Amino acid sequence: MVDDRLARRDHHAPMSLVAVKDVSKTYRLGTQTVTALAGVSMSVEPGEFLAVAGPSGSGKTTLLNLLGCLDTPTSGEVEIDGECASALSAGRRADLRARKLGFIFQTFNLIPVLTAWENVEYPLLLTTRRGHGARVRAVLEQVGLGDRARHRPPELSGGQQQRVAIARALVTEPALVLADEPTANLDSKTGHEIVELMRRLNRERHTTFVFSTHDPRIMAVADRVVEISDGRLR
Amino acid sequence: MTSLTMPLYLKLAIRNVFRNRRRTIITLAAMAFGAAAIIVFGGFVHAIYFGVRESTIRSQIGHIQLYRRGYSEKGNLAPYDYLIRDYAALRTELARIEHVKTVTARLGFSGLVSTGDTTTSFVGAGVDPDGETELSSLAVIVDGKDLMKRDPRGITLGVGLARAFGVKPGDDLTLLTTTKGGGINALAVKVRGVWESGEKAYDDRFLRVGLAEVQRLLDIEHDDVQSIVLLLDKTEHTPAVRARIEQLIHERGLDLEMKTWDDLALRYHQVRELFGRIFAVLTLIVSIMVVFGITNTMTMAIFERTREIGTIRALGTRRRGVIAMFVLEGVSLGMLGGLAGVVLGIVLARAISAAGIQLPPPPGSTRGFLVQIFVVPDVLVQAFRLSLVTAALASIYPAWRAARVDVVEALRHV
Repeated sequence: MVDDRLARRDHHAPMSLVAVKDVSKTYRLGTQTVTALAGVSMSVEPGEFLAVAGPSGSGKTTLLNLLGCLDTPTSGEVEIDGECASALSAGRRADLRARKLGFIFQTFNLIPVLTAWENVEYPLLLTTRRGHGARVRAVLEQVGLGDRARHRPPELSGGQQQRVAIARALVTEPALVLADEPTANLDSKTGHEIVELMRRLNRERHTTFVFSTHDPRIMAVADRVVEISDGRLR
Repeated sequence: MTSLTMPLYLKLAIRNVFRNRRRTIITLAAMAFGAAAIIVFGGFVHAIYFGVRESTIRSQIGHIQLYRRGYSEKGNLAPYDYLIRDYAALRTELARIEHVKTVTARLGFSGLVSTGDTTTSFVGAGVDPDGETELSSLAVIVDGKDLMKRDPRGITLGVGLARAFGVKPGDDLTLLTTTKGGGINALAVKVRGVWESGEKAYDDRFLRVGLAEVQRLLDIEHDDVQSIVLLLDKTEHTPAVRARIEQLIHERGLDLEMKTWDDLALRYHQVRELFGRIFAVLTLIVSIMVVFGITNTMTMAIFERTREIGTIRALGTRRRGVIAMFVLEGVSLGMLGGLAGVVLGIVLARAISAAGIQLPPPPGSTRGFLVQIFVVPDVLVQAFRLSLVTAALASIYPAWRAARVDVVEALRHV
């Protein structure tokens, strides 16, 4: 099933923030070739809050990895904000990620030896030169952790860690934030709060979010839901 | 990389060093013991160099020797054709040079020495009893007394020669030698004392006689000597005094040539060569130890932090950033291990020196010695630098492997 709102869109509209054109991804597993994605085409519009839904092994993570320039497609093209990510070298893709993308992971993935502040500051240090203190402070306050800035991840709860991760994803004001099952490791109440927070930031900052989930309550919050099964969009 | 990434990577490196404290402490301990081993052995070797150098200088060769020009080349064949004239005037002149403590003269000769019943060959030196006492401060009189001007017929023998001959102070001997002109001459002498220099070859063959008696025995002018030997206040002043004497030879047009202890102390150079090689082997062993320690620690750290590597790569850190981070971690370990090694090395060196450990005589020597470990700044720097450089080099390969990790795989790592 493809959401009816998606059905009305032109997949290859020039104004799209993300354009995925006939993308396939296959892996070799011993002597077997496994198809993770098969001929997927889709687009993401600026400011969208888009859910990618599907069961485990359906290809959600593979799709998010391709959108996040963490991986390259076996065939087809992925364009992020006008840049053809699939054609870039590893170094250029790293730069593209630093400039235009933010990531939120299922397991939070904060650097345990850095404080909340330093974790949020990290992506800024990769891209900008000076004067980022105010940005870090502002985004930590937006996620409600202004008073936890000096704490290290092990001193924070799961929900707080994911808030730090959201702040880290947003601090560079990326064009697109990708969240791979951001609530899977949280209890349902905290998970809901996290999705609400992402939704609020999406509205306040007009940041585009693409997140994967198989939780129907979270899908309900999305502008649009893309369903994936056996590597194909439905 | 921006100007801010290096401080960031350094901060991460330092914090990560202390993340697994037990493993870090074990790695640092291994490195520290390695560096300390270099410092202690290096200090021991330097103490031996110093001991051999000073005993050779002060019991035999002095700091500087002067001869008539041509003596080194042809003196062996016709020693008495290369005698220094006007010793007394030269002595006054040389004694005025700064850092010169003693000026004395020698007249080498050889021949046969006889008790009447037994006869053996000897190598002798006619020496100035006053100057020679100071110069031979490390050749200790073990029986009887040293030479004295008012006992012109008295001689002293090396302990090996005295034992082989079965003579003791007070015994009469006859020296038989060839004069300058080629005739045979003999001198009746009395043993005044027996000395020990610590060097067996020297103690077994040498005897000393008053210079004036030898001049008479060899039928040589009163003011003629074979060599002038200078003892300085400190060995380190040798180059300065040498330069001053060269200037003097040049200005006065003196018919002299010069050798320093460095040219004459063959055994010292052999000892340096031998211990230098042993030291190099030890350094190599320690380097290998550090390489294995660091590689192991870094490989484990990288395995444990695979997902973190995936995360920072996802955030946009380039591969060289990952390399920088892990190499800086290796460098931090090297620096800490090196510093700990320097401290441990100094403490051990002082403790061993203070413990007064007695070692048996080394080959070619007759005297045992107390273990001394010098704290040598050069060796400290060398040990520290070795830890640092080896750790940095050893972390490059693991760091490179960490940077090659596939981001997607790394993020999936548990």
